[in-house]
Amino acid sequence: MKKLRVLLVDDEIMIREGFKRLFDWEGHDCEMVGEAADGMEALTKIDSLQPDIAIMDINIPIMNGLKVIQMSRLKHPDTAFVIVSGYDDFSYCREALRLQITDYILKPVNYEEFGTCIDNLKIALFQRRTSRQDVPQEERTIHGITRYLQEHLAEAISLSVLADQFHLSAQYISQLFKSEIGVNFLAYLTNIRMEQAKKLLLTTPLSIAEVSERSGYADYRIFTKVFKKTEGVTPSQYRRDFLEKGQ
Amino acid sequence: MLRMEIALFLVLAFVAYIYFSAEKEHAALHRTFAGLLITALAHLVLDGITVYTVHHLETVPGFLNDAVHRLFLGSMVLVIYLFYQYIAILVEEETGKPRRLDWPARIFLAVAELGNFLLPISYTVTPEGNYSSGPYMLVPYGAVVFYLLLCAGLLAVNRKQIDKKKKSAIGIALAIEFTVCVLQGLHHTWLISGMGITLMTLSFYLTLENPEALRAELTEQKMSMLYLKSQVNPHFLYNTLDTIRIQAQLNGDKKVAGLLMRLVDFFQLSVKVDRPMVTLDDEMELLEAYMELMCCRYPELVCEYDIDPDLGGAQVPNFILQPIVENSLLHGLKNKGYRGEVSISAGRSGDGRLEICVRDTGSGFAGGRKAAVDEMLRSYAKQPPKLSGNSIGILNVQKRIKLLCGREYGLSYTENETGGVTAHILLPLKEDLK
Repeated sequence: MKKLRVLLVDDEIMIREGFKRLFDWEGHDCEMVGEAADGMEALTKIDSLQPDIAIMDINIPIMNGLKVIQMSRLKHPDTAFVIVSGYDDFSYCREALRLQITDYILKPVNYEEFGTCIDNLKIALFQRRTSRQDVPQEERTIHGITRYLQEHLAEAISLSVLADQFHLSAQYISQLFKSEIGVNFLAYLTNIRMEQAKKLLLTTPLSIAEVSERSGYADYRIFTKVFKKTEGVTPSQYRRDFLEKGQ
Repeated sequence: MLRMEIALFLVLAFVAYIYFSAEKEHAALHRTFAGLLITALAHLVLDGITVYTVHHLETVPGFLNDAVHRLFLGSMVLVIYLFYQYIAILVEEETGKPRRLDWPARIFLAVAELGNFLLPISYTVTPEGNYSSGPYMLVPYGAVVFYLLLCAGLLAVNRKQIDKKKKSAIGIALAIEFTVCVLQGLHHTWLISGMGITLMTLSFYLTLENPEALRAELTEQKMSMLYLKSQVNPHFLYNTLDTIRIQAQLNGDKKVAGLLMRLVDFFQLSVKVDRPMVTLDDEMELLEAYMELMCCRYPELVCEYDIDPDLGGAQVPNFILQPIVENSLLHGLKNKGYRGEVSISAGRSGDGRLEICVRDTGSGFAGGRKAAVDEMLRSYAKQPPKLSGNSIGILNVQKRIKLLCGREYGLSYTENETGGVTAHILLPLKEDLK
């Protein structure tokens, strides 16, 4: 996997410094290729650097972050935009979703948790690659494993279970995840479990405890904690926000 | 004479229109008043009809005349009963004592209605006008005397515990109805009972049930919230704190950075203070940020949560949990050197309401303190608005719950068998989702 190239856009130097130096870019196979302090600069740098990921603040001088995304979207359909904003305001969020951003993170940014955002992005890229390959001549091991995970995500599952199932060593499977997708096994499993939970929350009237169980979490307290950490809101809030938006 | 009935009906109809078009929480007291308004309107219509029929004894068939008269006085007894009920609920809310006279009042109502429909009726014709008479007239007078005495008794017994404004409203209403009944008893041809009913209803409406009066109380609460908020621009505060946090982390101080992070969270969440109601999830988030900071300051402090995850969307008044928990810390656990546990639980109570409990293992109430707190929470409406002091937090919480959710909800305290106290917050369960 090649390294993901990141552009950082925020008008406050301290926020940019924090991002640059406090997040383990190297460990997440990313490299910081540039930074911008206002909307105009951001627009130019997106064009010249063509980053894989642009981390954007909304409230920046000259042209706001949403406008920048809107203007770059068509030219750079593959760039993933991650909004990092202090505006806990749903109208922004709504507009941001229309622009097909990849993620929306609220300040203050917890750098340890920012890794989840990058992991999710890599998984999304992996899934996009997988769906683009029309008919795979011979199925690769990783696809077999991810399909198996998708089908058994409600069960207690671990690397050793996978190892038995596919007659491979646990260590090999672990390395496979790192080399093929760029994330570790647990991050991948949590990601698809959360996707499943989100789907169940929005399409079924199941209680939180039932959603938790069907997404592979026997204890809803742990489920709620993990969900809150990855999605920024609790499961019931997530469901409610969606319903309100639909009205 | 018919003109007076029409005028009274229009006045009450107008009052009813304003009353029902205003949005408000329908607690038991308001429901009783709504029933009272409707019954009084029906009573006035029947009043108008009887005024007509009693003066056309030759043309209106006798049985029809009897029927409307019995209905008319039947509705009057019902109105007087509802008056009693209204006053009884009001007194119960003010004093916290349960209503004990409901059963006698209901039995009397049944007996009176039975008498009203069975006792013989006759008509007296005089040059000044006609009126119905006979033994069945005992019923309305009896009902007025019985219920007015009950009300007067309630008022007299609890006079010290009832708010001055409410006391005068009840007193005036009783005096009016009494005067009107005496006048009607002396001058049978005046036919003014409808006037008494209308004036009584109006006096309640103007003093107690007026939507403007209720709204003014809410505005006052909101103003004090705005005042608290306006002291510093919170956006400036938490943006600056976040910058300091990043600098701390760049300097390698993770501990300070973590604390600042939670403080930023806390300020960010409390900016939402301008909304009167928030979801339980929002409220818990604020509380967790607060508790994490406190647990950092006092490492022997432990906090446990047990929240029914399906209740996360329940609407609760904004900023009610943090003051309660703060109270537990300052008045319970502080005396034990901040060593102990606070556990917060939320669930459905037996009767389908939302119950939030904040239980601590602190020092508990000092001697006599429990009674003082109970008394203060019960008579929350009479407490002067305080700007400082020990109990401003919980008093403010109690006031806001009562105003926003209705008077049957609120805050109360119990003592744990194993030491410490538990705060119980009862709220209506209104969720966005099933």
